[in-house]
Amino acid sequence: MHLDLSELSQLAPIFRELFKGYHVSRRDPELYAQLSNFQDQYRTLFKALGFELVCDTRGFYYFVPDLAAAAVNKTAQRLALFTFILVEHLADQGRDPIAVLDGGSLGRDELPSLLEKYRDLFIQAEVQTQEELEEKIMRRMTQLGFAGEENGIYRFLPPMHRFLDVCLSVQQDRDLAASLHSVLPLPAPVLIDDDSDEKLLQTDDPLDLSDFAEESEEDALARAIAEEQELDA
Amino acid sequence: MIEPKRVLRALAEHWALLEPLCEHFDQGTLSLNELRSQLAAQQLDSTPQDITSLLDVWIRLDILVPVAKSPNRFELNAQIHDFLAYLRREHRLGLCLEIEAYLRHLERLAGYIQDAFDIRDGNDLARQLRLLDMRVRDVLKKLANDEQALVAVAERAKTSDRQIPLRQRYAEVLATWDEYVEPMIQLVNADGAFEQGVRKVENVLLRMLSEQQRLGHLVDDDMLLRTHARILEMQTSAQLTLRHARELLLPLREEARRHNAVTRGAALALSMIRRKGIDAVPQAAMPMFTRPQSTFLGSASQVEAYVYALARFEPKPARFPKAHKTQKGEAPRAPRTVREMLERCEDALPMPDLMTWLLEQEPDGATDELLYWFSRLSREKRFKRERLERRDYHTHEHQVSLRSFALLSARDDAPENSASTPHAS
Repeated sequence: MHLDLSELSQLAPIFRELFKGYHVSRRDPELYAQLSNFQDQYRTLFKALGFELVCDTRGFYYFVPDLAAAAVNKTAQRLALFTFILVEHLADQGRDPIAVLDGGSLGRDELPSLLEKYRDLFIQAEVQTQEELEEKIMRRMTQLGFAGEENGIYRFLPPMHRFLDVCLSVQQDRDLAASLHSVLPLPAPVLIDDDSDEKLLQTDDPLDLSDFAEESEEDALARAIAEEQELDA
Repeated sequence: MIEPKRVLRALAEHWALLEPLCEHFDQGTLSLNELRSQLAAQQLDSTPQDITSLLDVWIRLDILVPVAKSPNRFELNAQIHDFLAYLRREHRLGLCLEIEAYLRHLERLAGYIQDAFDIRDGNDLARQLRLLDMRVRDVLKKLANDEQALVAVAERAKTSDRQIPLRQRYAEVLATWDEYVEPMIQLVNADGAFEQGVRKVENVLLRMLSEQQRLGHLVDDDMLLRTHARILEMQTSAQLTLRHARELLLPLREEARRHNAVTRGAALALSMIRRKGIDAVPQAAMPMFTRPQSTFLGSASQVEAYVYALARFEPKPARFPKAHKTQKGEAPRAPRTVREMLERCEDALPMPDLMTWLLEQEPDGATDELLYWFSRLSREKRFKRERLERRDYHTHEHQVSLRSFALLSARDDAPENSASTPHAS
């Protein structure tokens, strides 16, 4: 395939976002339009670089990580758990879970009651307070492109289908349903990403100075002191 | 007999009053008081006597009929109700069984037609053919009505409140599918009652056509041909209605089924997590996110040294300068802060070459420090930058090849600032 790089005008931002684990959907109109217009070109280019671009017909794009590099992923587990909880909570309330998770919204004010009701489950994901819920789950959801937050309202985006698919596959997995009543251990998840924000946001761009961008006076001073010590030594 | 003209005239005259009432009658019956108040609300200047006489007219014309065993409650005459529903395109979905019953009747009629032909009874044959023709029209009418009703079912499901659960929202769709579409599929199947009935009637009619050629005409050939054409029209119409029904309802039904599966899956997963912990969710099902793998570039010995250093890491004790001690030798230079450097840089604007300026400012600065400042300052939003040609620069200890920037104040030319893309090499 012939690749015309001048066509791929958004290559740098698209790669940066996808590389961070972000899911590009219509919420980022420019990137999304580029990806859908030059889908094959981007896929070919990324494939040559060793990245598998997934083009989901429900309207989003993301990178599939290399399985060999997969590790246990707390974030994916947390987000999946949150999705299960939300689906059940909404269904209990007589609301339509799919309508909410597929383009609908959830108020931040609904989080405390959710946390209270499912405390036993949230604890398993190391989430015990509203702050932790917002930090470890909601913020991560927005960072990865699963949801957008505006004025205390979380709006769920098409990539949420990845978690709805989890619900479907759990439901379809008869063996799994059967294993509920067995004593055999379930297969351990092979997942990617670990828990730390830093790793998620880390890039390999040697000139990426995002860490320094917000260097405060104190930070600069601390760095300077450390350097001075070396000078003294 | 009720005078048709009078009924039609009454319907036409009172249409403005009847139409809103139809909606109430679609839901059920109305008591006399409810009827009166409805009419009074629509006709503000009418007296109770006017309303009484209006209701009298309707009752006399059989437009309104009392509900059995509740003489104070009224409903629309079923025939009139159907007629008005047809006019208002408010169709109630019929039963698949009705169509099947009609089809069975068509088969019987085909038998009677054959009998009449066999005994050469021209009158009976013509009568039975007319009956058959009318019955086929009934089926066509029903199919058209059902199709409209199906459209309405789908529309109601799609437009109802998104906040109510899908199970409720699509209850009508699911019921319609189970009670109408599914049996219709069976009925219109190649070996279903519909096809069998149609084939039987068609065979009788075609055989009769050829027999008439041989034995002489009992009825006009045209009549047979017309009936035959109508039978085929009915068959096509049934298939089209069924296809339309599937197109309308299948996606909604699938959505409802999917919805149930999602809710059930979530509940299943939660119960599993409650019993076996968060790791219980199967790996195959979990979405995976890409994570930037830190690509560590270095030789094997560098990696070894790095790991070795990590393993033996010990924090250095913090040592602060003591106030009473006088500094021996040259006082160590105070470290540059970002603010200080930015201010100095700003004062030096316009700057023809940032790297040259940095080298002038910090002739003894370490290369990494200089490159840090180069990168930091060139990305600063308050400066507008212009790329220069690649050239070599000599720091205290290295030779660096890079494309430097000329810096200007962004305030002079603010709008263009955002267009500059970060580049550094």
